[in-house]
Amino acid sequence: MMRYLLKRLFWMVPLLVGISLISFLIMHLAPGDITTTEAAFNPKASEESREKLRKLYHLDEPVIKQYGYWLERMVKLDFGNSFASHQRPVFWEKQDEHGNVQKGLIQDALPVTLLINVLSLVLIIVAALPLGVLSALYHNKPADRGITVFVFVGFAVPGFWLALMMMYWLGVAHNWLPISGLHSLGHEKMGWFGQLWDYFRHLAIPVFISALGGLAGISLFVKNGMLDVLHQDYITTARAKGLPENTVVYRHALRNAMLPLITLLGLSIPGLIGGSVIAESLFAIPGMGKLFYDAVLMRDFPVIMGILTIGAALTLVGNLLADVAYAWADPRVRRGVMH
Amino acid sequence: MKAVLQNQLARWGFAIILTILILALLAPLIAPYDPDAIDVKSILLAPSSAHWMGTDGLGRDVFSRMLFGARISLLVGFVAVGIATVIGVILGAIAGFYRGWVDVLIMRLVDVMLSIPTFFLILAVIAFLSPSIWNIMVVIGLTSWMGVTRLVRAEFLSLREREYVLSAQTLGAKNGRLIFRHLLPNSLTPIIVSFVLGVASAVLVESGLSFLGLGVQPPQASWGNILTDGKEYIEFAWWLSLFPGLAILLTVLGYNLLGEGLRDALDPRSAKINA
Repeated sequence: MMRYLLKRLFWMVPLLVGISLISFLIMHLAPGDITTTEAAFNPKASEESREKLRKLYHLDEPVIKQYGYWLERMVKLDFGNSFASHQRPVFWEKQDEHGNVQKGLIQDALPVTLLINVLSLVLIIVAALPLGVLSALYHNKPADRGITVFVFVGFAVPGFWLALMMMYWLGVAHNWLPISGLHSLGHEKMGWFGQLWDYFRHLAIPVFISALGGLAGISLFVKNGMLDVLHQDYITTARAKGLPENTVVYRHALRNAMLPLITLLGLSIPGLIGGSVIAESLFAIPGMGKLFYDAVLMRDFPVIMGILTIGAALTLVGNLLADVAYAWADPRVRRGVMH
Repeated sequence: MKAVLQNQLARWGFAIILTILILALLAPLIAPYDPDAIDVKSILLAPSSAHWMGTDGLGRDVFSRMLFGARISLLVGFVAVGIATVIGVILGAIAGFYRGWVDVLIMRLVDVMLSIPTFFLILAVIAFLSPSIWNIMVVIGLTSWMGVTRLVRAEFLSLREREYVLSAQTLGAKNGRLIFRHLLPNSLTPIIVSFVLGVASAVLVESGLSFLGLGVQPPQASWGNILTDGKEYIEFAWWLSLFPGLAILLTVLGYNLLGEGLRDALDPRSAKINA
């Protein structure tokens, strides 16, 4: 297990180098250099901010050296300071020249997005498992057909549109749920239960929206996995030796059908993080997605590059966790028979 | 083709896509109004016999704008996925055919690309370039080739070991002939399926970008930016938000049904969803 982990960690190094290369490439996509792009978008971009950009990314030096500096920044997780947002540090808290400690933008936004993504993952698992199992057990019966329709619609519905509709019906027209931010005015004065309930009401629609696509995909996956497993010999054996049907389905079949699910959940992380842009900007939730969207609108390059890198790093960590969970759950990997 | 049309999913998907395609192609003939014609006397009119889908905040006919928006969605979908497919087939073929270090290099590149959240990547590139329909197509294309690459590589790896390929090789067939005569034609089915499914997700991405104001720029109509207007007027003009959303939903649903149906019909090994 330890050796597997080490090997897995080692494999992340070339990926990280690749990510640094891609992000560096993006920085140099703009015709000319990024200082002129910024000026093209924002005629008011001062000579001063252009100068800052040139200094931040060492644009006067040879490309190889620029990349070296970029790599150094990535390793140190220092992405400089935002051009907007009171010039706060992009990633983590830092002391400014006056000795005041300023909190980082990502430092504030990351927990919010992580919370939403974890809740979405929980919702996906809680809802997709029963849907998939039902669909497999009642294959081609009305229940399965109904779930299949749900799956196809869930895949096809544009999240931002559904969010807008829910925002209007549940928020504006009926005033059942709040439609913006993380908490209401007077949040601090509520008891712990009141605070929890307040968060829940604010996050209900955004979490549902970000979970929907994954939910559809994963329930389909569970269904197909169950259908495969239910036709295997050991299931027939289990039934033949007289085990109750519930034991066969839940202890024997589901456990095996669930294994690949762990990997799949890990793979759905970049989609969830990227998808947070729409839900968060629509509901004014101060997470990574909204931070990123605002940065793109203001061409706040240090923030864009910082979030891009941290988003990729998060994905790698998510995949690593999924692989470790898989290795832990599958005795064949755990005991070193495979891999 | 017969097998495809006998498949229920594929038939529905095909019907939806064909309808939208015809509406989009004939947009200039069908559209009752000029999609960009501003009419201050008919601002925010509810759907009626004169304006089937109502009018927007500038008095433009929503139905006409929807028809022209369909062209954008389909154009972006096809071109973006076309770019992705070409890149994916070339890289996947190289990796699967030559194996060795080229394969390792290409697959690591795939891993790297997959680890950067795609929507962040697209937005970042657009921040450095500028939002225009051409940039969007290229950016979506350049960020969505990884699936096809893996697919083609896997097909090539398995086909390459088949006896008919080995015997062709033994008889002295050149690499080019092996690739274009034997391997590529036999990998076409999964490539076509992934193309159709890819268009579905490209349509979703484009409309999402346009909705955020970072995609197709007004006054050019796209379903996404009609919805952006709809957001502003959602309390008094439901038709501005409802129709573009439904159009996107139907289009994406159509491509997904067609893709899954094609997979079922053409590839009996993975006939699963509607088996």
